[in-house]
Amino acid sequence: MSEKPFFVGYLPVPGPFRTFLVVLSVLLVAGLGTAGFLMGAAQDDPGPGAFRFDYGRQTVTGVVALTPYPLIHVTQGNDRIKPGDTFMMTAGGKSGVDSRAIPLDGQLAQVSGIILERGELYMLQVRGGQNGLRAAEGDVPAIAVEPQGRWQLTGEICDGKCLAGAMRPGRGLAHKACANLCLLGDVPPVFVSSQPVLGSEFLLVTGPGGTRLPRTAYDYVAQFITAEGNVTRHGDLLVWEIEPDTIEVVQ
Amino acid sequence: MDVAQAILVVIQAWGIFGALTAAVFLTVGIERVDEDAQGAYVFRPLLIPGVMLIWPLVLWRWWRIESQRAGWAERYKPVRGAHGAAALLMSLGIIAIIVTGLSVRQEWPGDTAPVQLSDGASQ
Repeated sequence: MSEKPFFVGYLPVPGPFRTFLVVLSVLLVAGLGTAGFLMGAAQDDPGPGAFRFDYGRQTVTGVVALTPYPLIHVTQGNDRIKPGDTFMMTAGGKSGVDSRAIPLDGQLAQVSGIILERGELYMLQVRGGQNGLRAAEGDVPAIAVEPQGRWQLTGEICDGKCLAGAMRPGRGLAHKACANLCLLGDVPPVFVSSQPVLGSEFLLVTGPGGTRLPRTAYDYVAQFITAEGNVTRHGDLLVWEIEPDTIEVVQ
Repeated sequence: MDVAQAILVVIQAWGIFGALTAAVFLTVGIERVDEDAQGAYVFRPLLIPGVMLIWPLVLWRWWRIESQRAGWAERYKPVRGAHGAAALLMSLGIIAIIVTGLSVRQEWPGDTAPVQLSDGASQ
């Protein structure tokens, strides 16, 4: 009869099998741990973007302006959001606030929500319904829109919400599908420039002539590209009207 | 055509050939290579996804059995001989895909400066 060891679950493990089991277990744990470490170490830094629940709910008043993506030019701020600031807005999940902002275009509105912040970029995730965005009483100041000329920029188109901190990472190729879903849901697209443009690294990006970002540009979201278009300053926010025909992927 | 489009075209072509293979094999071929399938139809739609996935293997085995190149017992014997090599290749392939994905990436063009092509009206 063969003396070949045979494993039976309810009996002690035979000697040769015990050695094999220990070696395999150690290699498996160490191998998977090493693989996980190497894959994690190979990832890009996701950056400092985050929901700032620690700031608490922010409520400010300002003028709604459509670029066509809705902006708020703050007229009455608070401790964190100062009068004169201009910021973008988003709703919960992968959706924008267009349906609520369009009726208020050019009017004074009170906006309330949670800040998403990544360095100098921030936007507000507004509360649901009229608690998040509703008309306010008061004089409506004129908002300056200053053309800044035509620029060739290099960088990456992202969705503003994930980039500002809703996702980590909120940019890069691994995030492309999420970014496009956000853009389809009317979250404002943001261009991350390779170097600051007129002092700003982040620009709201639209289509030519104040249209929405063309669908043809969605194919280039999350890739490093170069393109041309006019830049205008809305309050303290730069808006880049990207021309899809000029988009080229950086090699 | 970029890499993503090429992958999509290959997947679509694979699916189309798979669907055609499934249509022909499950209506004509299966009865010719397995007499137990004669007169049995309800189970055939269940095989469609599998045939679409491994249609080259289906065609190869159909041809082997139909042309009598395989012994009678082979039609009941799954193709296991290459399983070890296939598992090894798939494992290496997964590792290669991960390593390639992590290493072949665009580099952030931090050295490229913005270029102003024309002045704005306010400048």
